[in-house]
Amino acid sequence: MAGTGAEMHGDDASRPNAAGLRRDAARERWALLGLASPAFVLVLVAMAIPVAWLFWLSFLADDGSLSLEHYRRLVEQPSYARIFRATFEVSLVTTAICALLGFPLAYVLSQLPVRAANLCMIAVMLPLWTSLLVRTYAWLVLLQRQGLVNKWAIELGLWQEPLKLVHNMTGTLIGMVHIMLPFMVLPVYGSMRAIDRDYLKAAANLGAGPVRAFWLVFVPLSMPGLAAGALIVFILCLGFYVTPAVLGGGTIILVANRIANDIELFFSWGAASALGVVLLVLTLAFLWLASRMLRLDQVLGGGHGR
Amino acid sequence: MARAEPLPITIRQLTKAFGTVHALDHVDLDVRRGEFLTLLGPSGSGKTTLLMILAGFARPDHGSVKFGDAEVVRLPPHKRDVGMVFQNYALFPHMDVAANVAFPLKLRRVPRAERDRRVEQALETVQLGGYGSRRVDQLSGGQRQRVALARAIVFEPRILLMDEPLSALDKQLRERMQIELRGLHERLGITTVYVTHDQREALTMSDRIAVISHGRVMQLDAPRRIYEQPANRFVAEFIGESTFIPVAVRDGAAFLGGRPLQAAQAPPGPGRCVLMVRPERLQLLGPAGEPGMNLIAGRVRDVVYQGDSFLVRVVLADGTEVGARGVASSRAMAAAPAPGAEVTLGLSPADTILLADAEA
Amino acid sequence: MSRLHVIGAALAASCALAAAAGAQELTVVSFGGSYQEAQSKALFQPAAKAMGIKVKEETYTGIADLRLRVKAGSVTWDVVASGSGSAARAGAEGILEKLDYSLIDVSSFYPSLKQDFCVGGDVFSTVLAWNTKTYGDKGPQSWADFWDVKKFPGKRSYRKGVAGALEPALMADGVPPGKVYEVLSAPGGIDRAIKKIKELKPHIAVWWASGAQHAQLMKDGEVDMVTGWNGRFDVVKKDGAAVAYTFNQALLDYDCYAIAKGAPNKDLAMKFLAEISKPQYQAEFTKYITYGPTNKKAYEIGAIDAAYAKTLPSHPDNAAKQLTIDLNWYIKFEADAAAAYQNMLTE
Repeated sequence: MAGTGAEMHGDDASRPNAAGLRRDAARERWALLGLASPAFVLVLVAMAIPVAWLFWLSFLADDGSLSLEHYRRLVEQPSYARIFRATFEVSLVTTAICALLGFPLAYVLSQLPVRAANLCMIAVMLPLWTSLLVRTYAWLVLLQRQGLVNKWAIELGLWQEPLKLVHNMTGTLIGMVHIMLPFMVLPVYGSMRAIDRDYLKAAANLGAGPVRAFWLVFVPLSMPGLAAGALIVFILCLGFYVTPAVLGGGTIILVANRIANDIELFFSWGAASALGVVLLVLTLAFLWLASRMLRLDQVLGGGHGR
Repeated sequence: MARAEPLPITIRQLTKAFGTVHALDHVDLDVRRGEFLTLLGPSGSGKTTLLMILAGFARPDHGSVKFGDAEVVRLPPHKRDVGMVFQNYALFPHMDVAANVAFPLKLRRVPRAERDRRVEQALETVQLGGYGSRRVDQLSGGQRQRVALARAIVFEPRILLMDEPLSALDKQLRERMQIELRGLHERLGITTVYVTHDQREALTMSDRIAVISHGRVMQLDAPRRIYEQPANRFVAEFIGESTFIPVAVRDGAAFLGGRPLQAAQAPPGPGRCVLMVRPERLQLLGPAGEPGMNLIAGRVRDVVYQGDSFLVRVVLADGTEVGARGVASSRAMAAAPAPGAEVTLGLSPADTILLADAEA
Repeated sequence: MSRLHVIGAALAASCALAAAAGAQELTVVSFGGSYQEAQSKALFQPAAKAMGIKVKEETYTGIADLRLRVKAGSVTWDVVASGSGSAARAGAEGILEKLDYSLIDVSSFYPSLKQDFCVGGDVFSTVLAWNTKTYGDKGPQSWADFWDVKKFPGKRSYRKGVAGALEPALMADGVPPGKVYEVLSAPGGIDRAIKKIKELKPHIAVWWASGAQHAQLMKDGEVDMVTGWNGRFDVVKKDGAAVAYTFNQALLDYDCYAIAKGAPNKDLAMKFLAEISKPQYQAEFTKYITYGPTNKKAYEIGAIDAAYAKTLPSHPDNAAKQLTIDLNWYIKFEADAAAAYQNMLTE
């Protein structure tokens, strides 16, 4: 065998143990691969196969033949385009509000002593331990016509007639922002904590007052966290189902709601699968765009220098 | 470039306590116009606290800090107009080299053209001309150090502070940068306060050194005086290698092994007294000794070879061990005594330093 | 060794037990909530007792669940409770077993309340309900009133799905009840109904998606007028909600029982359906929720109080005021109508 010959040749007096050491290295690589295999299998079973199956189903007509009818329907019926638009709009607005609220919140937390910040962080995370459905219905109870907010505001004379706070876009956004805020605060807080205080001292020393030091140094350095948070929130929003269904009053229809609707309405899975595929493709396209922008950020010197 | 006149710094009664620990204890210190002064001390001595108060990052409990005639102790850091080089450089990672150096100029609304000119000039001053468009993370440690320096001097501050700026560099680079920083200071003539815990660095670079311990200035002097005539046992122990041999004091004269010691100065005050011995100041003499020298007898324990020098470790009659260092030339090495040999060590009266025996 | 032996024996024993029980155990699936509670107490458990079998109850969310199981070949359900429209479509789709009406006695049923794949269980109405605090007793009495925002100002709630949503619109537009499906089946009929709903859209605050939701909306006073299922309103009315409704121009519909395609105990399930279709069970059911019997005899055996009978949707007096849902229309047109409806909602 050629291999054995080469090995024997490799193990001559001038290169002792060469073959054995090479074998050890190879074994180590295989062991590492072996350790990673559960993850591979998981990704395959939980991700790759279902997604491939989704693709396949979306091209099947009700009678089982290959067809583009589900995609044709998405194009022909104007409601689908509107639903995709609404989904991206709601997700973008939610992300923007989360950023506006989450950034200052994370900033305050990052300036607190670690102990106090950890306590506050628990308070921020606590809602995540409660059921999404419960939190959503809680908002319904608070915001509806005879709800607490309207009742108290009218008693306090803030407004006379009950405001329409729920069963519309306002209610949906309130609910979604509330649920998504922790996903924004966490990465932003992380990146703010990682900012070396010396950067701010340096800025002050070089002549920047607190406000300019914040905008010129602190904010740019916390951008990676903000970008990560925005991405997480945006992607999660795209798949939102419960909150728009409960707080949207029936007119805020997002892709996930429509998928549920189409599963009930049509005999085959194809109709809903096609919706899923389109959402997946649009999301991937968005991720690709985002990753290009983030890489650009790195070129500009993102990532905290050593 | 037409530089502004450097400012002296006057520090009076500066005190800062963390709980019951005094980081600074009624410190009085004058930094002369244009001098390079080093704050030297072990960690926790208060030297960094002092620097942070000068920069405005820490607030003292009380005391006065004047830059020239202006009291600055209550001035926020961004209004102090002092340059500072941080231990980890604190270069902004989201800006390139030029933007980092231009940062203080932008804040001072220096017009674009002049800004560019001054940035390039500052980079050339630190030998980084043409590096403006580099990203910070593409630079080596030494280069970052220079960028930090360029950024600290580009706005022509009248005072420059440095917080252990070379501690992250390897030994060779550190030694080269010490010379460069010294040269830069000579060219710019800027009043510089430099913090380090590295005594050799302090001795190499400084006009004067303030040795600090437990929030007090133990000695403020030129490097040579700090080394050769330490004010007390703490300074003597902290700077350089030294051994302390107890001596007897009678009628204003010191005696070692019954023989009187000729010293540059009379032994200090009442109480017990020690002789400070530095290895390189001890000479190995023949049994006859040498006239005019203080002689100390002992037995060689061993000879340690150290490359550029060798150390002869000698046990004295009272059991104290001292070292005598020789330059490791072939001739000297050949003449080195064997272990167990009886030797006589000579110490010239100028190097005979007597200190009060207070534990540092 | 001996331990393994014991475990083996235990396993064998439990398998045998399961097999024995399986022969006499039936799995029934319904929608849960107060509706299934009524079914369980009036129908499932008493019938099981009478037949000497065991009934295991489960809940599901709709026909998509059943479809998934049938297509995956893992049907564990025998009897499926369903809405009439869903059952009609599921039957056409082939995921239900055909019922054997030689076994199930439907001779005294209202003729329209059974299908090939599904036997009627109870009758309910999609009614017009209103907040009595807003309108007092002089509430809206017809779909024309529901659409009349001048005479009856206030917030409306309407169904988010198309089922039962187009018929009221046509009646409000002047189509007599008897002609509704004729118009809907003709070209332009669906558009006419949707155009009418669009008219009312600015006044519809909430598009409801479930019976629990429209009941809650009335209980909370969130809207002043709503379409919905009559039984749900009676339940919240008992809880003190200020709600009243009329059977006038309401849509008469029914729930039914079917057998899943490939049900493990198909024959037993058939006997079970025969049992629960008997009048005494249907009469008992009305005591738990105001849904009427599909078997006319239930009114005749004297188990339902005469005054109470008048409040049930299938009581002849009430039935006469209503329009019966046409399942054939739904089988044919629901997908198209749903698309147009969604379009209107998202506009």
